[in-house]
Amino acid sequence: MREDPIKIEVIDSAEAGGPDAVSGAGNLSLETGEEQAPKILDPSGQIIRTAKQVERSRAYRIYILLPVIFLTVALLGGLRLASLDGAFVFVAPALVSLIFGLVLFALFIRAGLIDIRGWFSDEYSIVHNAANGVVLATAYASSVQVFNSLLPEAGLPFWVVAFCFAWTLWNNLFAEFDNKRLLRSLAAIFAFAFVAKYVVLANLTAPANDAGWLRSMLENPAREAFTWLLDLPRYSAGTGYIQFFCMGLYFLGLFLLPRSVREQNY
Amino acid sequence: MKASYIHILSILLSAACFSLIVFLYAAEPRSLEEVSTKAISAIETTVTKGQVFTGTYEIDQARFGEGLAAFRADNFVLARDRFERADPERRDAATQFYIAYSYYRQGWGRAFNDNELFASGLERLKRVPEIDADFVSRDADLKLKTAAELRDELEQGLKVTADDFNPLRLLRERK
Repeated sequence: MREDPIKIEVIDSAEAGGPDAVSGAGNLSLETGEEQAPKILDPSGQIIRTAKQVERSRAYRIYILLPVIFLTVALLGGLRLASLDGAFVFVAPALVSLIFGLVLFALFIRAGLIDIRGWFSDEYSIVHNAANGVVLATAYASSVQVFNSLLPEAGLPFWVVAFCFAWTLWNNLFAEFDNKRLLRSLAAIFAFAFVAKYVVLANLTAPANDAGWLRSMLENPAREAFTWLLDLPRYSAGTGYIQFFCMGLYFLGLFLLPRSVREQNY
Repeated sequence: MKASYIHILSILLSAACFSLIVFLYAAEPRSLEEVSTKAISAIETTVTKGQVFTGTYEIDQARFGEGLAAFRADNFVLARDRFERADPERRDAATQFYIAYSYYRQGWGRAFNDNELFASGLERLKRVPEIDADFVSRDADLKLKTAAELRDELEQGLKVTADDFNPLRLLRERK
């Protein structure tokens, strides 16, 4: 997450008072000395939060909130609702989604959205490194499920959209990027794929009914023909809403994901 | 909370959520109600596999008894269902023998045998020598006591021979 720098001042612990003022310094990499504790002050000089509180909030955001967000995306990314009865349909990701997820991660690293050396270090404890690995693993899982969500399930549309993704990701691998441009580019391509699948193709799909093939053809000839020709699955409209929410959560997760856990940008 | 506790909590939370996601995608429940049903089934399977792993696996005697009662009452479909549930891991020779025998008895006909049921019986019978090569049934009600005898009877039933057109065949008895 790119945050605006907040003013940090080191003030005398005796002046600030409170237990956090002393113990907070120990949890930071700031050179404060035993006598002083870092505090976050507003322009008028009032203490907003102690550094320890900020550090703790940051830890909750990275190690609790982010995995929850990414795992929610991983759960919902493959969820569809059947057209006929609204039943859950869990679609496991295709192999190509795993590959796209990996390429996307390579892009994140290339563009500087993730600094691997900032996430894994010999200076950290094993548990710390493991927790960092888990956060990145959940981010990868959610990226895979986002591709699973956006790729049509079968037929010609699957190959067309997969080709578009492959082309874009491959080109991006060799382009000069910063993380903002990468996020904009991703938002654009994902939005395009979302509209193609959940607006255009969904509207070409004939609704499922028990009326029989002949009656369906008479009532809805064009959509039945498109459904048959393009091998479109019949999902309920609720699927689009779920996936829209899923996309939003994914980008929120990326926005909150720090470049490195080493950063102390409060 | 100390940073290390948050890290451990993060790992445990992620592992639990990840397990839930894998379970949902593997079990594919179609509704929220089905989630609990599938979860119970998955837990039962896990417990059974654990029993096999630790060598404490035993068949469900109550269900086996129900299966045996249904078998003796010639209700073979119910019998098979009970036997299957009594031995979900298919590791008990006697239960598997009864299942194969139920296919034989259900498929047996004075004039014609049901080839499909006999083939299913043969298929299921393969499991018996894999579990216990020297299996002998102690059930006095069964005339075919070993897997070899039952296999021969099922194979003979599947073959078309001149004996099939012998009118005396109508006088034979089910074993």
